[in-house]
Amino acid sequence: MKLNERSVAHYALSDSPADHTGFLRTWGGPGTPPTPSGTGRRCWFVLKGNLLFSFESREGRAPLSLVVLEGCTVELAEAPAPEEFAFAICFDAPGVRPHLLAADGPAAQEAWVKALSRASFGYMRLVVRELESQLQDARQSLALHRHSSWKAISSRCKPQAPDCWSQVLENGHSLPRDCNPTGLVEEGGSRSAGRGLAEWELQGPASILLGRGQSPVSPETSCFSTLHNWYGQEIVELRQGWQQRARGESPDCAGLPLS
Amino acid sequence: MRYNEKELQALSRQPAELAAELGMRGPKKGSVVKRRLVKLVVNFLFYFRTDEAEPVGALLLERCRVAREEPSNFSISFIEDPERKYYFECCSEEQCEEWTEALRRASYEFMRRSLIFYRKEIQKMTGKVCAELGGAGVVLQAQLMTRLPRRTPWSSLAYPRRPGSS
Repeated sequence: MKLNERSVAHYALSDSPADHTGFLRTWGGPGTPPTPSGTGRRCWFVLKGNLLFSFESREGRAPLSLVVLEGCTVELAEAPAPEEFAFAICFDAPGVRPHLLAADGPAAQEAWVKALSRASFGYMRLVVRELESQLQDARQSLALHRHSSWKAISSRCKPQAPDCWSQVLENGHSLPRDCNPTGLVEEGGSRSAGRGLAEWELQGPASILLGRGQSPVSPETSCFSTLHNWYGQEIVELRQGWQQRARGESPDCAGLPLS
Repeated sequence: MRYNEKELQALSRQPAELAAELGMRGPKKGSVVKRRLVKLVVNFLFYFRTDEAEPVGALLLERCRVAREEPSNFSISFIEDPERKYYFECCSEEQCEEWTEALRRASYEFMRRSLIFYRKEIQKMTGKVCAELGGAGVVLQAQLMTRLPRRTPWSSLAYPRRPGSS
């Protein structure tokens, strides 16, 4: 099966963040027996996302091996020879041999087992969704909080229309549930499709959200003045309407009688 | 670089984010468009001959650039060699849009950036750090995985719990 190995190796060597690094003893490799024996080979390991790379040394210019950490579990293991601190990456798939590795000490062993257990794409996706929903909660609370503060301020400053204000605010838009960062990312992504060049390093929600204009539903930005203006538009329109109706209803406001 | 093909083959059999038969052309000069079953699984794009169970090949989608080409085609290239493109032909603009969107989000690096973004936003809004990030990586506390059911606004991060409220 072909793989874009040059790109994979480039990614391994790039300055993209590594989730864990360290020396580990490894068994297996070309020319080694199927059952691990001996003390293994000491290599420099780099974990990036769901990919575990090994190098000859810290300065290695090309990865020796790649393990794709999907559909696997990490378990403590017995190492051949009197080596401790061993663990194995075991795959569900039939015919895929476990990878046996050994750390230099108990702390390193624990750290590696933890890091490798959390390395799957699915785990990361769960975490991102969790934070997304926390952000939604925080935004909604903030919107409600702002509504109630404006209500308090308006009833103090504008005694003639407190009911108008409260009606508007109750009918006003709380940040809708469907207007979430994922939705915006999707929208933003489709916008960037129309741009001449996609940005290499800025692909991601941050740049998409900063690059786009106002959302049609509500501004998904934490800039208060923008939010204030946006909520204010509807209120200004309603006030104008109210003032017009007030003038129309009162005969005193019909203008000066013609003499 | 050594890797276990069986690991990748097993991955290619996992449920896909997207799968479709597309026209595909490799980056080499003079390559022709071939019909391939293209399957997006986590951050890998697998491509199969339409009548075979094992993939012909896989593309790791980290540090890649997905670009629209004409109305219903797209290309994937990699940061170290942007001119070397894998071309894909879709049957419609909608399908092309669907694929480019999914591919842009299909990297671990993208999710990492999302995580950092959300964490910063939450911190800005609530003044609280909600998850621990160890160094450059993501090492979450166990409590994140045993989170309580979805909270109502009154009990969310923005409000301290009122005494006597449930």
